[in-house]
Amino acid sequence: MKALRHICEYVGLRLALLLIDNLSARSAGAMARGLGSAAFAVARKRRRIAATNILRAGIATDPGDARTLARRSFQHFAELVVESLKSDRVFTEETWQEQVELDAPPETMELLRDPAQGIIVVSGHLGNWEIAAQLISFIKPVVGITRDMNNPYVDRLMKRRKPRNRFRLTPKHDADSGRFLRALKQGEVLALLIDQHARQHAMRIPFFGTPAATHTSPAMLHLITKVPLCFGYCVRTGPMRFRFVAGPPIRRKPTGKRQEDVRALLEQLTGELEEAVRAFPEQYLWAHRRWRE
Amino acid sequence: MQREEIIDRLRTTKQQSTQEAVDWDSVTLETDIGTLGFDSLSILDLIYDVQQEFDLEFEAEELIGVRTVGELVGFLEGQLAG
Repeated sequence: MKALRHICEYVGLRLALLLIDNLSARSAGAMARGLGSAAFAVARKRRRIAATNILRAGIATDPGDARTLARRSFQHFAELVVESLKSDRVFTEETWQEQVELDAPPETMELLRDPAQGIIVVSGHLGNWEIAAQLISFIKPVVGITRDMNNPYVDRLMKRRKPRNRFRLTPKHDADSGRFLRALKQGEVLALLIDQHARQHAMRIPFFGTPAATHTSPAMLHLITKVPLCFGYCVRTGPMRFRFVAGPPIRRKPTGKRQEDVRALLEQLTGELEEAVRAFPEQYLWAHRRWRE
Repeated sequence: MQREEIIDRLRTTKQQSTQEAVDWDSVTLETDIGTLGFDSLSILDLIYDVQQEFDLEFEAEELIGVRTVGELVGFLEGQLAG
């Protein structure tokens, strides 16, 4: 039964790819928003999680407004998937800057352009994080963490479809700190998302006022390597057009009080994410369960 | 710094690093540091604590390859001597 479902999903994806490849960016975006609305209509549980999270974060106070924003967030997520599938045919090493506005202070750009300098770029489920990593990889190699898809056919297709010469994804189950340390030493970018629920190695950091289990690894890697941290995100400004925003480098000298150092860094990074989410709430993935017990 | 002092400071550091209880009487130089409760990510905590406790600046990556308590002590002896 499971194998049959996997084959059906695979065939469905092949058909969707055929369609996506032949549509303009504008039409593909419109189709994605339609799919997002349909998903919003049928995915009751996720819809409820999204609206509850929006209210809990104080982004909306009225349940009707929260529901409207939740629908836009579903549409955004569908667009994100379509954009990510289209990206390798749209962005090239030579032309990507025509469609992407870079909004980063000179000191951050200097770090990104220095081939010997590693940097830890922290982001959240905001805008298109997949495109963000892809775009940074045009400047310097990027290492990220991913989770293998449950459907092995889809997993293989997606890996074949998106050859990432300078954007390497490490499977979550295979992620070890030695690999990250080596990447940073080689002057690469380590891209990490800070707003995933952390089951282990977590610290509870307030996110929109409510403590959320947050991975300590971005802070720990910075503290032991002294490689600068930077918060960044990539938001959509039009069909296959984006703005990549990055903050100034963050550096903290270890004080010897590990918990305090980690907390200070995670609070700063989470604060920057909060500020960015407030600016673009419709481009945030509200349907994921950030505040678990 | 004597080897015994290094081990003693490591014991204190380890106790501060993780909540996991360790029977230090059974720990030898051959003990795998993984059995002391360190995994791929909590080793970062150990690196931080060692850097701070021993006031050392070293490439974090160097400590990742260390597998046993003896190797860790040897690494620290080398760093402290250098």
